[in-house]
Amino acid sequence: MVQAINDALAHEMRRDDRVVVLGEDVGRVGGVFRVTQGLWEEFGDERVVDTPLSEGGIVGAAIGMALYGLVPIPEIQFADFIYPAFDQIVSELAKLRWRSGGEYPAKVVIRAPVGGGIRGGLYHSQSPEALFIHVAGLKVVCPSSPYDAKGLLLASIRDPDPVLFFEPKRIYRAAKGEVPDGEYTLPLGVAAVVRPGRHVTVIAWGAMLYEAIAAADQASQSGVECEVIDLRTLWPVDIETIVASVKKTGRVIVVHEAPKTCGFGAELVALVNEKAFFCLEAPPARVCGFDTPFPYALEMEYLPLARRILPAIIETAGI
Amino acid sequence: MPSAAWPGPPQVGALREDGTVDPARAEGIPDELAVALYEQMVLSRETDAHLVALQRQGRITHHASAAGEEAAIVGAAAGVRDEDWMFLASREFAAALWRGMPLGALVHHALGTARGPGRGRDTYAPPFWKPARVVSASPLSATQIPHAAGVAWSARARREDVAALVFFGEGATSSADFHAGLNFAGVTRAPLIAVCRNNGWATSLPSDRQTASDGFAVKAVAYGVRAVRVDGGDVIAVLAVVREARARAAAGEGCTLIEAVVPPRPDSGDVSSSPADPIARMRRHLEGRGLWSDDRDARLRDEVHADVRRAIAEADAEPSSPTPDFTDDVYASLPWHLREQRQAMAPRDPAAGG
Repeated sequence: MVQAINDALAHEMRRDDRVVVLGEDVGRVGGVFRVTQGLWEEFGDERVVDTPLSEGGIVGAAIGMALYGLVPIPEIQFADFIYPAFDQIVSELAKLRWRSGGEYPAKVVIRAPVGGGIRGGLYHSQSPEALFIHVAGLKVVCPSSPYDAKGLLLASIRDPDPVLFFEPKRIYRAAKGEVPDGEYTLPLGVAAVVRPGRHVTVIAWGAMLYEAIAAADQASQSGVECEVIDLRTLWPVDIETIVASVKKTGRVIVVHEAPKTCGFGAELVALVNEKAFFCLEAPPARVCGFDTPFPYALEMEYLPLARRILPAIIETAGI
Repeated sequence: MPSAAWPGPPQVGALREDGTVDPARAEGIPDELAVALYEQMVLSRETDAHLVALQRQGRITHHASAAGEEAAIVGAAAGVRDEDWMFLASREFAAALWRGMPLGALVHHALGTARGPGRGRDTYAPPFWKPARVVSASPLSATQIPHAAGVAWSARARREDVAALVFFGEGATSSADFHAGLNFAGVTRAPLIAVCRNNGWATSLPSDRQTASDGFAVKAVAYGVRAVRVDGGDVIAVLAVVREARARAAAGEGCTLIEAVVPPRPDSGDVSSSPADPIARMRRHLEGRGLWSDDRDARLRDEVHADVRRAIAEADAEPSSPTPDFTDDVYASLPWHLREQRQAMAPRDPAAGG
């Protein structure tokens, strides 16, 4: 996935000279995960900017670049470090188009690695997507495969709205797959049914998609066929795909790493209740992180792995 | 008492008490410009008087008066070039007017009509005015400083001779965004002109509770950028130091932090009654140059008064929008969830104050 994202950035920087990458250590070092490796060598200081250590400054400067007409792609080294930039994202970036009567949109794509499973501990493992989904004016994307990562990143860069592009770091190198050279995009706001089934809908994204698929495979040995949906774009979410699936299965489980309370799962369950309540045959379920800080030593206990998803599937299926 | 460990730079002035100008700074202010600066300050003062009155009547929510700070605002706006960007804080509507924003646009904005540049969505600060690259501010005090640094960086990276001027009050210097923005501009040698209006108070907090440094310009030292302190009641001095900062920016010398020290408000609250009033000081200068008279002043004030009243009357006559549009422009196009919410919105009832 690292290579696919790097390829997308390089492709878009060659195609459009307004595209600029900035962040801590993104230049000479190529980023702590090497996602921007080689870009500084190819595009130089004026397209790939090693910035001072200040997330608020990175996003704030990126907003200025966007106002000027550039297409900045700031990297926040870990999503856990995004909070110093929260004010700039929430109060400024998300609201500029609206406040200015449509005249000053600021097109910024903020890339940040998210999630646990790399023994990163409390401050290198968080999944803050719900905080940004809650803010009007932002789009939130989280790919689960190299192919999707490239297509979604190119689409995010060309989309007119600000995008938070969350990269699941647990599968940065673990997720492998063919990625075509050159040009292709995947539309934002379109989910993928990655495993068709008729008994239980399982909604996941990012690294937890693989846990959902693993649990679904195991459930199938008990005769339960799960339909697994990879959201890909978290917001605006592909509500049609979700509702169509739940109308078919009558049962739904949402899986995410972030803490359960007020996590995105809460909104998804509410939407299912609003739009497919009379099709439901079991209470919607959430398999999530805990309402605690992210634990270093017990991260595999914290994460909603297949071994926690499977019992939820069996219970929801009612067998 | 401020620490003297790192003394701030000496204060630059140009206008003397008798209305003459320090010969070292007398160049470059032709008659026409001198008159225009004065007229713009008067327009600012009159507009303030009307908008403050509307605020006291409860007809507008937000208006931050610039009374007494006109020289800092107008002088700085006049010191940059047409192609430069301007990032406002809460009080700098006169800078936008200087750049050609019509008075009507400002008043529509203040009254929150759909014809205001921000379509009536937020009336906090002076509005955006895209034709002149004027960017409005949120109430978050310093968030615009990194934006201006980003614009300045972009101009430098694109090798375009464009600078960014950003205004803020001295309270903003306590924020992380001031630090991040000035530091970014310092490191990248971005052509940023940062104007700190020091009126001695951030809302209720006196400036000696805001900082222990000797003024605010001295903070530039830590960012490796040029520090300038100027008499903020002296429009000619402000214009001169901003022009110098702009010339340094064009020469690749990067950012300047300018502290414009605004004279304290007289106890009466009536700025116009004070001999330190920046408008009175500039008037003495024009009179000394033979460019001004009581008669001309009365005519100007009548004209400006009529212009402001007309703009308010026009904005007042604007019917309220029958279809609420606040779901527009959240995104470039309406996503499904906002389409649903818009459909569910009840029709607006003007009788209910809606």
